Amino acid sequence: MIESLSDLAMPITAGILLGGLYAVVALGFSLVFGVMKLINVAHGDFVILGSYLAFAALTGIDLDPFLSLVFILPLVLVIGFLVQKYLLNRAMAISADAPVIICLGFSLMLANMFQMIWSPLSRGLTTSYSLTSYNIGGLAIQLIYLLDLIIALAVMLALREFLRRTYLGKAIVAASQDRTAAEMMGINTNKMYAYAFAIAMACAALAGVLVGLTFPFSPTSGVPFLIIAFGVVILGGLGSMVGTLIGGIVFGLAQTLGGFYFGVAAQMFVAYVMVLVILGIRPQGIFGR
Amino acid sequence: MNLIVPRFGQRGVILATVIVLLAVLPVIGVPQQWLLYLFLYFVYLAMANMWNLLAGYSGLLSLCPAAFIGLSGYALILGTWVGVPLYLGVFIGGIVAALFGILISIPVFRLTGVYFAIGTLVVPEALKYLFFLWRPMGRELHGGGAGYMVKGEFIIDIAWTYWAAFIIGIVSIFLMHFILKSKLGLGLAGIRDNTGTAASSGVNVFRLKLYAFIIAAFITGIAGSVFYLFQLHIEPTSAFNIRWLMTSMLATLIGGIGLKEGPIVGTIVVVILHFLLARYAGISLFIQGVLLVIIISLAPEGIIGFVRKTQIYRPLLKLANRKATCPPKTGPKDELE
Amino acid sequence: MSEESLLKVNHVDVFYGSLQVLWDVSLTVRAGEIVALIGSNSSGKSTLLRTISGFLRPSNGNIEFKGKRIEAMNPYQIVALGISQVPEGRRIFPDMTVSDNLVIGSYNHGARSKREGNLKDVYMRFPILGLRRNQLAKTLSGGEQQMLAIGRGLMGEPKIMLLDEMSLGLAPLIVDELYRTLREIRERGITILFVEQNARRSLKEADRAYIIKSGRIVLSGRAAELREEDEIQKAYFGV
Repeated sequence: MIESLSDLAMPITAGILLGGLYAVVALGFSLVFGVMKLINVAHGDFVILGSYLAFAALTGIDLDPFLSLVFILPLVLVIGFLVQKYLLNRAMAISADAPVIICLGFSLMLANMFQMIWSPLSRGLTTSYSLTSYNIGGLAIQLIYLLDLIIALAVMLALREFLRRTYLGKAIVAASQDRTAAEMMGINTNKMYAYAFAIAMACAALAGVLVGLTFPFSPTSGVPFLIIAFGVVILGGLGSMVGTLIGGIVFGLAQTLGGFYFGVAAQMFVAYVMVLVILGIRPQGIFGR
Repeated sequence: MNLIVPRFGQRGVILATVIVLLAVLPVIGVPQQWLLYLFLYFVYLAMANMWNLLAGYSGLLSLCPAAFIGLSGYALILGTWVGVPLYLGVFIGGIVAALFGILISIPVFRLTGVYFAIGTLVVPEALKYLFFLWRPMGRELHGGGAGYMVKGEFIIDIAWTYWAAFIIGIVSIFLMHFILKSKLGLGLAGIRDNTGTAASSGVNVFRLKLYAFIIAAFITGIAGSVFYLFQLHIEPTSAFNIRWLMTSMLATLIGGIGLKEGPIVGTIVVVILHFLLARYAGISLFIQGVLLVIIISLAPEGIIGFVRKTQIYRPLLKLANRKATCPPKTGPKDELE
Repeated sequence: MSEESLLKVNHVDVFYGSLQVLWDVSLTVRAGEIVALIGSNSSGKSTLLRTISGFLRPSNGNIEFKGKRIEAMNPYQIVALGISQVPEGRRIFPDMTVSDNLVIGSYNHGARSKREGNLKDVYMRFPILGLRRNQLAKTLSGGEQQMLAIGRGLMGEPKIMLLDEMSLGLAPLIVDELYRTLREIRERGITILFVEQNARRSLKEADRAYIIKSGRIVLSGRAAELREEDEIQKAYFGV
């Protein structure tokens, strides 16, 4: 047991760093769910959309994935805005299930589209720094993993400040707490929802770039990330940045340790079982209200 | 004839005739292609009816039919490896699915609304990975994956396979009919209309939903194993695939969710689509996704819902000289919001 | 008419689905007035307010604000015209701070530039809010939440304020305080339409009043005159 502790150092560190990535993956999902009570079952596929768009830029015009965000983010913001404004807002008025079903439709469309355009093969975003790793305290820590965590923290902070300090941010928060009262303040809640969804999509695309740099991905990678996002939100509770981060870390650790003990194939399975167990025990999350 | 008509009415006679006709099809020598279409129709019909029972009547947007289908199929096929006869295996598959439904209801039923939907989404995915890892009978078949084929010699009689599907399809229709009339059905209707009121008038919401869920698991499982009766081999990715959900969901939505006849009509469309899209396997899910978005946005009430709303069928009914049905309630005159 | 009408409700019918709840309702509020709409619980008073606010659409009749037709507008558009709301049950944003609640009240573009000035005014008028400005709104007492709701309404630089059952569930002392505030608000030039169950109190505070019963306006006129009417006792039973 004692000797395996030093072996564990590697997966534990990796798990914590991955936690940042998973937190960012969950961020957009959490925003949409928190603001509109909408479960975007296509969230994972939107993340992978970011990965594939960056892949296209990388292989097509040799553009670094982070730089390609300059083009990807505006595109995804607009798409997200339109989707919410014209499809999902309407669906929310039809029934509680309708938005979920529409998102399911999107999920299928996206996954199929990925397969059509880029084939079922696994892809990855390989750059000059993909394999760079640093020796910190005797552990080999990959640059990508560090970047994941740093960027994750930055994005989460930025989003939190946006929601807290700007009129638009406050309006979105108000709309999420009491839609009727928000309208009474002169807030066009439908538009707020559209903004929130757009921002969520942008977060997803960013997460996708990070994902693509960190893991191989394929057309069916969407659902696993959806489930991780869901698990992180459930565990960390809505509206809590710290909670989301901790949720991400828990899932990151579950994966790396699961892989350590049970083999690579078990990683996703461990994560799924965890989600179901958490759902069974405490659906509102550890930090949730 | 004189005795039968007063008891069941003209409608009953026509229904019985149709059923008998469909039943004897294999015997009277119709082309095998027809039997294949109808086989698929009845299998999908049973699944769609059960999805409708959950999503349309019980307020449970269940995204896990694949779990029941896949497990049932595995029970059937792996059963042959331990000497279980095929037709018993079909039934056992249903039992396995129902038991799994009970098991999974423990975590998943603590969730409401959309939480429930995602919880059920996780289940087939988890099972898929489980069956990738677990090789109950050692490695076998099909490219070294976790695929299995039935063990032993089987001469598959098309007629019997057809009849298995036929039975489960018809059973699902009658089941829906009787459930909706029963205490369970009335309770569910109460829940659908207003959960709070239903709960406060003593309806055990949780238990009713659980019963519906387990019934659905059982029947969906049997439909699944009937399918694998035909296909005779199984592997995780297709067994727990989201396609199963898609066909049930599309069939129910196209036909009309929350309406008894919805799946009956909707499955016809879905089967036609299935064969139309067979040529375009690459984009078939894409098209189904588009269809899903279009239908729920533009025609959430489905075909039957549309027909009811516009009352097209009334002159047709009058022509057929049946007892006059009560005019359906008209919707609110003013849409204020 | 010596004064222009600010808000005019003209012969409005309102349905919930196929159920009619307001019949031929007309109401006028002139600039600078305090008008009371008095009715018991299911009289339709809140429905009328909701219709004016844009959450319900009348199937007949129309509503004018400063001569502009507003009955088909969305709630958020109506607010932008200068109609501020203090809703039934206060509806402050529970998980936002007191100051954020006030700030969001100035969401409308016209009000944003005046935000700091208005904030100071509100804190002066309601010192307790200033004290609690960084607390979450849900931690406030009922009376404090009502003050917050009114303050929030003021932040929007309104021409008219609609208050729905302001005194509900509050102690008489606090209600006195709130009515005093209303009078001050009127001094500032803001017109007031408030909805209440308590006829006696409302008639003391208002210039004019309308009595609504079962979805119809049954009595209207100057508050001073209505106070004398026996009809009040008859038309308005219950509380």
